[in-house]
Amino acid sequence: MLALRHVQPRALGLARRSTTKQVALASTAVDTDGSQSQSSGEPVTPQKKQSRAIRTRRPRISLQHPREWNRPLAFGVLPAFDEALKVIKEDSIVLKDEVKALEGAIAREKETPQPDQHALLVLENKLRILEVQSEINFPQVRWKCANGMADMSKAVDRHLLEQRWRKEGALDLLMERIHQMKVVPDVLPHIHPSLDLRVNFPKVKSNTGLQAAVSKAVYEHVEPGVFLLPEQTVEPPKIYTTVFHPEERLYTLLMIDPDFPDETNQTFQTYLHWLHVSPSPVPNLNTHTAYIPPHPQRGTTYHRYTILLLPQHSRLSIHMIAKDKRAGFDVRAFMEKYGLDRNVGGGAHMWREVWSEGVPAVYKDILKTAEPKFGRMPKADRYGDFRGKRRYV
Amino acid sequence: MSVSFLKSNSKPFQLRGIVARLYSTRKGEVSSSDPQKDTIRRYLYPPNIRNKASPTGTWRPDVARALQRAIPSVQAHETIERAWLLHQRHLRKKRDAELQRKFNCMRQAMQELEEIDSRLFREANKQEDPRARSLAEVEAMKSMSEPEKRAVESRVRGLFPRELRIPTDTPPKNGWPNEWRAFQRPLA
Repeated sequence: MLALRHVQPRALGLARRSTTKQVALASTAVDTDGSQSQSSGEPVTPQKKQSRAIRTRRPRISLQHPREWNRPLAFGVLPAFDEALKVIKEDSIVLKDEVKALEGAIAREKETPQPDQHALLVLENKLRILEVQSEINFPQVRWKCANGMADMSKAVDRHLLEQRWRKEGALDLLMERIHQMKVVPDVLPHIHPSLDLRVNFPKVKSNTGLQAAVSKAVYEHVEPGVFLLPEQTVEPPKIYTTVFHPEERLYTLLMIDPDFPDETNQTFQTYLHWLHVSPSPVPNLNTHTAYIPPHPQRGTTYHRYTILLLPQHSRLSIHMIAKDKRAGFDVRAFMEKYGLDRNVGGGAHMWREVWSEGVPAVYKDILKTAEPKFGRMPKADRYGDFRGKRRYV
Repeated sequence: MSVSFLKSNSKPFQLRGIVARLYSTRKGEVSSSDPQKDTIRRYLYPPNIRNKASPTGTWRPDVARALQRAIPSVQAHETIERAWLLHQRHLRKKRDAELQRKFNCMRQAMQELEEIDSRLFREANKQEDPRARSLAEVEAMKSMSEPEKRAVESRVRGLFPRELRIPTDTPPKNGWPNEWRAFQRPLA
């Protein structure tokens, strides 16, 4: 019968472009070579088994380079796959009927003079779960979400993206870095992100020379916890989020440095680098408390810079924090004052920085103060009285 | 001058067709007469030409092609996996629902029995001790031999009978045991 083992690698490539008919032709051809153009008149020469190169990289599919979903295997190549699709389709139809029935029930409950809120909540939860379950098994839906073409207005796609963020390592990496760098007890008592926050800073072109050369146009994704150069962080970052709720919610953006030295108390204090409150009239994030670039002082160990997106329960009007109030900023008191600590969720990100040759420029141009230099206090010379004197007289 | 046309054979006639083979050497190794020496030499001077993939090694160029033949499409594999788990979930839900329905029926029946006749209800709720022996059994056991006593004690009501024949595709080789008689266990 069909030499399925030979056909399959070719069926992969052909199914993507052509219809089922062409593949059937290829499978019944005498020569198992990829070319189908051999006519019946030509003699069929026994050809060497050509080894096709194995694709090791993922194909470049995204919203910018979109592609239509095609069946990975044509009909008949793998009967189990066809049966699976049938099972999934039947299950989806049953679930969609249930969804319709539930929607009717919810509408009827809402129309009653005194709707039972608890029952409504239960019904709505069940509706959400059923909506997701009715479509989550379809290979085309999963393929689209896996290749960056998710439609955020659909509950299924949102669910798939959230599962990917939570289970495939991105959230775990962020939380690992946040906990290992002790951001959690130092800045906030607990952080449980509910949205994917990504921060992009300009790429470093070259590290050699007095000051590192930083690209002006190319921004690169920052992995949480890595070291950045102060030259890269002079301009505010490009912030991208993926939220998993369809309705609009308001968040407050906060950028903190918990390792700002406090000379008078010989300890560290928190410094506020950036604050932005929603809603803002302009999409510019620099309209509230302006962004001051990170300036880790010479002689201090590395500074951890944390960006937080705190969920607001309503519209807030917060005064701009004055420049002299940025150092010694109390995050917990601020959150309690404006009710930001009541809600769970939000986003977080952090990176680290250490003094480099770009920091004096920040002090000179932006802060307009003298650059401090930290170090240990000079020790009193024990033997100062005896230096230079003759000892054995 | 004699020219020998026959190939001179150093081996005796009987052993000419038999080739002596030493199992202490691997392919490509020169075999000495002492297998111990061969082993020692192999461990002192291990081969350092790495041109074969091994399951425990780090160089495995053959894996990608083998995987591609085994799993031609990851998408198809995941779809089949999901469909199978979905099917199993449906079966599980059906079985659980049926069990629940049976339990509810039983519970309803017991409630009604309680209302109708409380004595029968109490009887129905009594826990049965599967190892309990009735008076008739105890009397019968007094006149039994040790193996028979053990046989009676080990047969508990509700368990599979020990003599149950496991169903097979084909009949037994030794035919049917026509003379077999069931062990008589005195019941209450």
